[in-house]
Amino acid sequence: MEFFQNFADRFYLNFIAEDRWKYIVNGLLTTIEVTAAALVVGIILGFIVAIIRATHDMTGKMKIPNFLCRVYLTVIRGTPVVVQLLIIYFVIFGSVNIEKVVVAIIAFGINSGAYVAEIVRGGIMSIDKGQFEAGRSLGFNYAQTMIYIIVPQAFKNIFPALCNEFIVLLKETSVSGYIAMQDLTKGGDIIRSRTYDAFMPLVAVALIYLAMVMLLEFAFNRLERKMRNSDH
Amino acid sequence: MITDNGVLIKVEGLEKEFSGMEKRALNGVSTEIRQGEVVFVIGPSGSGKSTFLRCLNLLEVPTGGNIYFEGIDITDKGNDINSYRQKMGMVFQQFNLFPHLSIMRNLTIAPMKLQGKSKEEAEATAMELLKRVGLEDRADSYPNQLSGGQKQRIAIVRALCMKPDVMLFDEPTSALDPEMVGEVLNVMRELAEENMTMVVVTHEMAFAKEVASRVIFMDSGTIVEEGTPDELFNNPKSERLKSFLSKVL
Repeated sequence: MEFFQNFADRFYLNFIAEDRWKYIVNGLLTTIEVTAAALVVGIILGFIVAIIRATHDMTGKMKIPNFLCRVYLTVIRGTPVVVQLLIIYFVIFGSVNIEKVVVAIIAFGINSGAYVAEIVRGGIMSIDKGQFEAGRSLGFNYAQTMIYIIVPQAFKNIFPALCNEFIVLLKETSVSGYIAMQDLTKGGDIIRSRTYDAFMPLVAVALIYLAMVMLLEFAFNRLERKMRNSDH
Repeated sequence: MITDNGVLIKVEGLEKEFSGMEKRALNGVSTEIRQGEVVFVIGPSGSGKSTFLRCLNLLEVPTGGNIYFEGIDITDKGNDINSYRQKMGMVFQQFNLFPHLSIMRNLTIAPMKLQGKSKEEAEATAMELLKRVGLEDRADSYPNQLSGGQKQRIAIVRALCMKPDVMLFDEPTSALDPEMVGEVLNVMRELAEENMTMVVVTHEMAFAKEVASRVIFMDSGTIVEEGTPDELFNNPKSERLKSFLSKVL
């Protein structure tokens, strides 16, 4: 009984007293907002970079854009995301008054784009060359062949890898606290600093991440199965 | 536009070099394809016959020579090859149907996107052609649900849906199980009887003998001999053709 009473007291202290649950809820909303927006930025950026890279691989054209893409990939994949976030906030936007959420979206979007790009490029290169030739032989130009024939097939193949990247992205936004953005992790940490109780807020934060990831995985698995069923 | 003497495709001194390869795949090939002609290209593997065919619609870009299609030099970079490819149907050894699209969509995507046909118009044309090859009941299927022979008949229909002026066949029966070769050859035979201009690369010698209006024998990237099926199969002049025929007939 004493244990439960103790637990209930700590729960009250960490989440109910002084409306501390708001740190968790507001943090969660910020985390979702940043993740969703960064995902969109990452996918758009990733597809553009992937198509430039794949075009270069297949035709030898686009030498300069391909070079720029490779620099982007090397730099982003070769440095920690926290450092990128700090540089974008304190160096690039250092003298500009800009919302932290926007900075986080830019930083995580650019970071995710690099990983998406290599996933998509792999997907495009995995499509049989004959598909490309069939498209061109009908009179489709290069871009039309990509849009109507190659990318839809590649997307189906890389869907599981993209879902995985989405989950990684969601968890990576937990470092946003470095620029003092109040995401889910930071919210839990603020509670910890107020109540001097580490267990309750941090485990709660962990469980919320876990629940989100499990929910996403469940949804992705269903989507994937649906896609496979339509792939005759 | 067809030139006065009915020449649809004119090939002059065609050369193709693949980087890293010592020998040229094509070494000065010149010939003409006239309207309504059914030209078969035969020869040993590595003779350049597939490369020759794939150069005709610039799937392979030649490294020398010129190709005139309906009087226009399509090797000239200033000409938009995509618009000419719409008039040159191509059938591949591996079918290359689009696996993510239904059969009907495979057949209508190019006419709709490239020729501005309405869905109804494109589907009506597709259905009519599907009936002719006996596959009207497979319109809603997906390519992977079909047999090899069915896939290849669909691939022929896909090319025909663009109403091409010439059909190019790149070993259309080589990837098929023997019992499925006949159904594909029947479709090709019908096309030939309807005076479709065709260029066919094949190993089906009996079929070439029966359907061809002209046969081209290639070896080492050049045309060694060309003429009627009777001339080539019954009275071969060159030693190379004689030795080739003794192996394949």
